[in-house]
Amino acid sequence: MSYQAANPLADEFEFELGGAWTAYWLAFLRVVTGWWFFHAGVTKLIEDGLAYTYGPAYLKQMTGTALGPIPVLMGEHLGWLIQAMVPLGETLIGLGLMVGALVRLASVFGVFFMALFWIGNASFGHGLVNSDFMGLLLFMTMIVLATGRYYGLDAVIEKTKLVKRHPKLRYLLG
Amino acid sequence: MQQHTTVIDKAAMALSGGLMLLGVVVLGLVEILAGKPYSAAPLTNDAGEIIATPMIDPTLRTGLVLAGILVLALYGLYKLVAPMKEGPATTQQDVTAD
Repeated sequence: MSYQAANPLADEFEFELGGAWTAYWLAFLRVVTGWWFFHAGVTKLIEDGLAYTYGPAYLKQMTGTALGPIPVLMGEHLGWLIQAMVPLGETLIGLGLMVGALVRLASVFGVFFMALFWIGNASFGHGLVNSDFMGLLLFMTMIVLATGRYYGLDAVIEKTKLVKRHPKLRYLLG
Repeated sequence: MQQHTTVIDKAAMALSGGLMLLGVVVLGLVEILAGKPYSAAPLTNDAGEIIATPMIDPTLRTGLVLAGILVLALYGLYKLVAPMKEGPATTQQDVTAD
């Protein structure tokens, strides 16, 4: 059996990283991840508008976690901002992922949200690697594989003159 | 496709991966070997009383994972501020027909 150090996937059952199935699956995964956050955010917006009071209350109960006093301080001093940013942030992150625009930037915020959900949620009753942690890893996968480039608007945006003049924007797009 | 990794790339991969795997897998194995509870949550009886607590505080394990994520975040920031390498991302080669 042949083995290529440069591409371990190259085999008689090759699954090309640049192939059609990879593009299809990464785009699918991105849209579903986006819907997950969009649904969570937009339903909060419908119910509570920009006054999602559970947001700061959730942060205030996060005592004794690996994040130290940060979430509690955020809940106590930035309550007004958290109330607005949770529903708005979730909605925008979800929208970004669904249409494939600014996917890496949106996913950074997704990782931030999921870190708070993972650390503060259910006391690891389902183990340390639970669904919250898998969600966090999904957002990291979006960043590493730049999934906005697969059937996403980032593929178009990255071809604009602005991005060509400022190629570093590709670290936020893609 | 040929990609070159620098010392910083490799250090970011090793440090972040090492921290995250230490928190999730290595200390998870230690937790199993230490006996019940096999997970990060305390074990309770039917009355809800805690009868066994994890040997390793989940705060430590989650802290290691968060540290790994922080390393990746810092690496991302570094990529944003560091100068980009010159030259095209891919090179084309002329192929002559027989």
